[in-house]
Formats: sequence, C-alpha cells, structure tokens
Amino acid sequence: MSSSDEHWIRSYGRDQFPHVLVVLGFALYPILLGVLNRTPVASEASAFLPGLTFMIIVLYMGLFAISFDFISGYTGYLSFGHAAFYGTGAYFVVLAANGQVPGVPEGMPFMITMFLGATLAFVVALAIGAVSFRLTGVYFAMLTLGFAQVMYEFIRHWGYVSSNPTEGATIPSGADMSIGVPFVDSLNFAVGRLSGDSFENVLGLGIDISATMTSYYALGIVVLLSYFVMQRIIHSPFGKVMIAIRENEERARAVGYNVFWYKMGAFATSAFFAAIAGALFAAYAGGASPDNSFYFLVTADALIMAIIGGIGTLAGPLFGALFHEWFEDILSTESDGLSTYLEQLLPESVLTAEVAGLTINDFIGTFLDGRAPLYLGIIFVLFVLFVPNGLLGSIRDRLGGTVSKRIPAALERYRR
Amino acid sequence: MPIELATEVPLVIETLERLFQPSTIARIIVEGLGKAAVYFVLAVGLTLVFGLMGVLNFTHGAMAMLGAYIGGLVMVLSVSDGTDALVRIALFMVVLAVVFALLTGFGSAFEYSLIRPIYDRTPMYQILLTFGVALILEEVTRIVVLSQGIQPEPPWSGAMGTAPAVFTERYDILGAPIRGLYAFEIVLGIVAVVGVWLFLNRTLYGLYIRAGSEDPEMVEALGIDVRQAFTIVFGLGTGLAGIGGVLLMWDPLWGPSALLAIDVLLYAFVVVIIGGLGSFKGTVVAAILVGIADSFTTWLFATGIVTFTGLPELTIFGLLVIMLIIRPQGLYGVEEVGGH
Amino acid sequence: MSFLELEDVQTYYGESHVLQGVTLDVEEQEIVALIGRNGVGKTTTLRSILQLTPPREGTIRYKGEEIGGKDTHEVSNDGIGWVPEERRMFGYLTVEENIRVAVKPDDDFEAQREYVYSLFPALDEFSEKEARNLSGGQQQMLAIARGMVGQNELLLVDEPSEGLAPMIVDQVVDALETASEDTTMVLVEQNFPLAMELADRFYLIDHGTVVESGSTEGVTADDERIRRYLSA
Repeated sequence: MSSSDEHWIRSYGRDQFPHVLVVLGFALYPILLGVLNRTPVASEASAFLPGLTFMIIVLYMGLFAISFDFISGYTGYLSFGHAAFYGTGAYFVVLAANGQVPGVPEGMPFMITMFLGATLAFVVALAIGAVSFRLTGVYFAMLTLGFAQVMYEFIRHWGYVSSNPTEGATIPSGADMSIGVPFVDSLNFAVGRLSGDSFENVLGLGIDISATMTSYYALGIVVLLSYFVMQRIIHSPFGKVMIAIRENEERARAVGYNVFWYKMGAFATSAFFAAIAGALFAAYAGGASPDNSFYFLVTADALIMAIIGGIGTLAGPLFGALFHEWFEDILSTESDGLSTYLEQLLPESVLTAEVAGLTINDFIGTFLDGRAPLYLGIIFVLFVLFVPNGLLGSIRDRLGGTVSKRIPAALERYRR
Repeated sequence: MPIELATEVPLVIETLERLFQPSTIARIIVEGLGKAAVYFVLAVGLTLVFGLMGVLNFTHGAMAMLGAYIGGLVMVLSVSDGTDALVRIALFMVVLAVVFALLTGFGSAFEYSLIRPIYDRTPMYQILLTFGVALILEEVTRIVVLSQGIQPEPPWSGAMGTAPAVFTERYDILGAPIRGLYAFEIVLGIVAVVGVWLFLNRTLYGLYIRAGSEDPEMVEALGIDVRQAFTIVFGLGTGLAGIGGVLLMWDPLWGPSALLAIDVLLYAFVVVIIGGLGSFKGTVVAAILVGIADSFTTWLFATGIVTFTGLPELTIFGLLVIMLIIRPQGLYGVEEVGGH
Repeated sequence: MSFLELEDVQTYYGESHVLQGVTLDVEEQEIVALIGRNGVGKTTTLRSILQLTPPREGTIRYKGEEIGGKDTHEVSNDGIGWVPEERRMFGYLTVEENIRVAVKPDDDFEAQREYVYSLFPALDEFSEKEARNLSGGQQQMLAIARGMVGQNELLLVDEPSEGLAPMIVDQVVDALETASEDTTMVLVEQNFPLAMELADRFYLIDHGTVVESGSTEGVTADDERIRRYLSA
C-alpha cells in the first residue's frame, strides 16, 4: 500500500515494478544472447537458452495463451475452440495481403488489417457466444470446440484461400507486413522470418539488428500493449464481475449483474486478442495453414501454457509459453538444442557405446530429438496433479497476493 | 435470378433422380450402417464413463489408437500371405478379446492411480488430466512405432493388409458395389449394441451403473461401492475404445495411426453429444445418424454433385453444432445435465 | 451402551463450521426426532452419521463400534438406511429397479419386494413405471420402501412430510410407523406436531449443537424452551 502523501508516479512505478523487470528482461534478452555468444560458454548458451526465433514464438503464443486465460481462467468458461479466433486473425491478414478480402484494398497497412481481423474475430465471438453461453461447463467447451472444428474443416477445403487449401496460404513476397504507426514510414518496421527489416551499424554504435531481432521487438511491443489492455480490464469493475461469475455465477446474477453480456464481452475481448496473436504469427511466419492456426492442438498448446504458467493469472500464460518454447528449443535440433550439444560434447566412443543394445546416439535420437511434446505432456500432467495453480499462481499463493502488490511491499520492508 | 435457376433446378432434379435409384439407396444405407457401427463402438465407452462419473475422458481416442496398434501388431505377426480368410477372422476375434482385456485393465489402473485423487476438484481438472495423459500416450506410441521402423502417420499399411480378401472385395448389392468389410462391421456393431444393452439392463452391476448415472451418492448410501464401480466402468469404457480401435485396423478410411488419438476423440465427442451425454439409446441413434450423414455426403462428393472435398467432415461437425444449438442436452440426454 | 452414540461431532462444509459439537444417543427400537430451524445442522447430522460428509472431530459409535472413517457403503452395509430429503429417486429406473438397487445382492430380492409391495400396494401397481412419473406421495413411499428392504436396523429419515398434502402425510406416517416396528429411527421433521406424535424423544438443535432434549410426552410448540428456538 502506498502512502497518500507520496507522488502518484512513484507509487504507480513501484506497483509496476515486477512488470518493469519482466519487460526489461525480455528487452535485454537478445543482447544477453549476443554477448554470451562471444564468450567461452557460447555452445552452452545456444544449447540451454531459448534462441531468438523461439522467443518470438513465446511472444505470439504467449499472447494467445493470455487471451485464452482471459476468458477461461477469469470467467471459468473453458474456450476449447479458441484456435478459431487465432486462425481468423491469421487468415485475415494473409488474405488481405493477397488482396483477397472484399473491401480491403491490396497494400492496406498490416496494422490496419490486423485490427480489422481482430474486429472480425470479436464479431465472430459474439455470434458463437450468443448460442454457447446458454450452456455451461463441459457443454460450453464442446460447443466452442465444435464451432472451431467446423471452421477448421471449412478452411482446410476452401479453394478460395489458395490452390492447395490443406497446406494453407502464404503472404506474397512483396507485401509490407510492418508494425508501427500506419502511413508513417519512419515509424514502421517490417516483420517476418525472412522479409523483416534489418539494420546495420545502428546509430553508428556498431550494433547490427537482424530481421529476427526487429520482429522480436516489434511483436513484443504489440504483445505488451495487448497485455496491458487486458490487465486494465481485469482490474476494472468489469473484470471484478468476470471473477464473480467464475466464483459463483448465480450470486453474480442475484446481485443484479446481467452476466450474459459480461460473458459475451469477455469472450469477444479475448477473441480480439487471440486474433491479434494469430495476425502476428502469420505476419512473422509469412503465411498460415489450417493445422497451425485453426486446429484443436493450437488451443491445446495455449491450454498447456496457461496451466503451467498459472490459469487465472493474466501474466502466467506468458511464462508458461516461455517454459513451453524453452523446452521445444532445447529438445529440437533446429537451433542447437540439447542433442546437438551432447553430440559435440561427448566423444565418439561414448556416443556409439552400447548399453542393452542401444547406443547413446540412438538414445538421443529416440528420447531427446523433437520429443518435447512427450515431456511437456508429463510435466503438464504433474502440474495438473500437484501444482494446479501453475507457476505464477503458486508464487502468488506463497506470497499471499499478486506479485505486483507483494514484491514492492517486501522491498519496502527490507529498505527499513 | 432466372439464369441461375435454369441451371440449379435441373441439378436438384438430377440429384434426386440419382438418389432414388435402388443402388444409391443401398449404398448409402449399407455404408452408412457400417460407419455407424464403428462410430457406436468408438463412442459408447465415452458416454458410459461420462454418464456415471461426469468425466469427459480425453484419453478415449488415444486408447483406440493403442487398440489399433496392438491389434495390428498381433495380426501382422500371426498372419502370412497364405493365411486363410476364416483363420484371419478367427484371429481378429481373438485380438478383440485380448485388446479388450488389456485395455480394460489399463484403463482401470489409470482411473485408480491418477483420476481418483482428483474427483473432489472441478470437472475441468479431469478434462485437463485426461488430456495430458492422451498427449503422453500418443507421443510414447509415436516413439515405439518409429523405433520399429513404422511411420506413425499415414496409417500403417502392413496392419491394414492383414484383412482377408473377402472384406476388401466389393460385392454387388442392388447394383451398388459395396466393400465386404461394411457387412462385417455391421455384424460386429450389432453384437456390440446387444452386448452393452444386456450388460446395462440384464445384470445387477448394470443396474447399479444406471442408478449411479443418476445419483452416485444415493447409490453409495444404499451400500454399493461407487468408487469401485467408477474404476470398473472406466476400465470397460477404455476396453470398448480399444475394441473400436481394432475395428478401425482394417477400415480403409482409418487404419492404425497416431492421428487416431485426436480424430477418434473428436468423432466420438460428436456422436456422444448428439445422442446426449450419458445416454446409451442416444449413442445408438446418433451413431446411425452420423453414419448415414457421412455416407450420404460422401456419395454427394463421389458423384461430383458437390465439389467441396471437406463436405463429410464439415457435415459431421455441423451436426454437432446444430444439435448443441437447438437441443444442448442431445437427443436423449437428461435436461438438467446441460446445466452442469 | 446405546445403539447409536454421537459425541462432540464437528462437521464442516468447506470452511463453514456446520456441526459445532453434536452429542446425542439413540436407544434400540426408539424413534428420535431432530428438530430445529432450517440450516441448523439436522440434515448434516444424518450425513455425518452416514459418512457422506465425514466429521472432522468427534466419534460416532453404532452398536458399540466406531464408524467414523468408514466409507458410506460400508456404513450402509452395517445396517444404516437413509430416506433422504427430496426422496432422491432414480427417476429413469422403474419402481421395481429402484427397490432392486436397495436390496443387498446376497439377500432374497423376491421376498423383499413382496414384503414392501404388501405394505405399499400402490408401488405394486406401478412397479414397471419409471419413478419420475410417480406422484410425490408415491415417491415418498418408494423412498421409505428403499430404506426398509436393505436389512437396516437403523433408519435415518429426512423431512418425510415435506411438500405432501395432509392426506398423503397420514399415509406416510403409517408407513413410518410400520417401518419403525423393526428398526430404530432418527427422524428429521419440520412439522413439529408430527415429529412429536411419531417420536419417543427429541433433540432440539440450534447453531450446530444440541440445546434441548427430552421425552416428547406432552411437549407442545408453545413450550417456552422450544418456542424461542423454533420461531424465527
């Protein structure tokens, strides 16, 4: 609690202290990676720390998981078809970039098409919510899943999307997918794995910024803004009603809230940000396919992230995403994971030594390479059984309040 | 618009003309019932478990996948090119029994060790837990299958190849060429419907399960160990999923593959929800409805009347959505259930 | 040693402390009424005995044996029957099937069925009807019948007259009196005169503890020690 005579900026700043730390951590991370790469522990760093490409996935999947948590964790309505909104955002920007959305001229800035796609998802959510919110529990989850599967099957076979709709659609190479202030060129930065802006010798400081790094920061800003909007809503009277619905919907109704419209509002808002996440993903990946946008397993990833990070804590899913992608990274060979590291570290004789008919090499190939889903599944089950509140939720329980409230209070105590 | 009418109306008339040919109707009904039989076996375990325990079991598809692979493994090891059709069918029956026994045991052990400790939490956690276990089962299967040099997807052709020729050949029924397998599936489906019905309606334990589906606490207070019934029913539901998986082993549209873990689950959800979660009768009717809808839309596409490739899948999930909108409790579901 | 003894039983629903130390005893062949206002813990007392809501503190002894910590089905199989509030039929099961569930598997079902059908001819008449289609009175008969066929020596009866027309209540009273010939009974009843008529002794419960007890002989609602707890 801040004392009343304190300047509000100071008290606000202190309340936001953990946020500032997290944002700083994310902002400085690429620089840390760059520095580590020039030290003797470079191979350890690239084996055990998530690479920048994985950090970008953390950003957009984190945002998607946060939006999933916004509805599922705060109102208690499990949105099992959340991928529908992510997919809507992704496909909207891809189709718009191809000039295939009626009424949206080719060359419309990405910032605007992203916003339009999110608005479309908002409207779609209102339509789905209108019928789904008559149901609760398992039935609500199944109905949203049913809608998402219908959209998935449709988009998978819809010839308008591309000549091979099962494989999805791509953004044409010339399209400008920039994040920034629309129509102000100097304040726009193109994102994309291949086509993003890169800068050499920035401000004459001898620092090079790669296309990946540009994408990382540009996406990061959108994710950060989205997070704060959702955070403000959760802390507003609207958010209090959402939580009241989760705790006891009957009581919330009895006190006079029109719970139906609160649920609709929350659902549509979460769909809006899910679509933003989808749009960011499509812009960065240069396209979208049914299986990486509308599919049930995309929702499942968000679910895993939300549970591991802490469902019902808005920032938790981001940490869940970090955990998830970190695991994916060290267990894949795409950017020097654990198996590459072991193969370099261990001498050939060890690698080919047989234990019960299995060489270490076989072991690595069978149990480490690309096996993240297995271990994530096991960790997920352990969390469900033993840490149901997730990482952030458990820390919060331990501290007895939200981290942003508690850390400053603790610091205050130490200062005296 | 008159110009479009000129082309649309003849198309509708032509479609109807072709539809009301005996060969078309025979094809749609026989194939539809064959698919319905498969859907029933895949879904009935899920509905029994939900009815009694209120647990939506997300491992159901993964259990069917295990059944398909275990069944496939036994068949591949015991069948050679020269094996007689009758021997193959007899082996298949043995496989059904073995898989049922194995998976019933596995399902019971799973319920006892992992689900039982979390009954006092909200239903969401049971969904999450079973979902996580499904992921693990799928991944482990992928690892094991790959280590044996078999691709986890597309379906394992070796196992599908153990089907006797009588099932892969087509037979003429009212002028329609229909695969022999469909007749076999229909027979097994009828056996499954009758078997489950007899268990529920003609045994004391079945009576306890029906009573427990309405009010488990009351059943417990009348002296029946409901926790034990949960374990047994979860096991039986899992065993039925395994049998469903074995049925898929010879089906050209499915076959053993890691994809079954999710595909079977989603289709079983559709059937179970359309029929009404927890309703045996509903599952039978919904399986037939979905089976016929599937074969009808497949026919529409195969004849070129509709060119949209995803029509059968879209129709099936569309049925789910329509049912949930107009009658959330499903065809035969109890009304209050929708309020949970 | 009494037939049923509760000593300092404390039971919680989540965090809410419902029974704050209930002590009472019931002798064999007695009918004991638990009275008190809504929400004071009468139903919870019955649920505690059945271990449906296991107490956190205190002891419950039935025929001299501690039953705390047992599973509900074990308590039931020890011979404690339950006729719950709102009857809790298996609505989609027939009358006969409802009775079948209650008869112990090693018991003679036919004999038990004929026994309750002779007591409640209406149940015989509708034996193939689904229970949800019965009238309220018939459902109450069925609930009592279910409590009687399980070889129970103690019957816990919760609000048997609730929501029934006066004429039907008379039938229910007859049924309960018949049932009490063979069993001991603990009765929770809002209808005060009815409770006094049926029971031999009463316990008055308020705020999760016993505040009064004694013989029902000559006790009326005007009794000062009763009135201040029952009137709202």
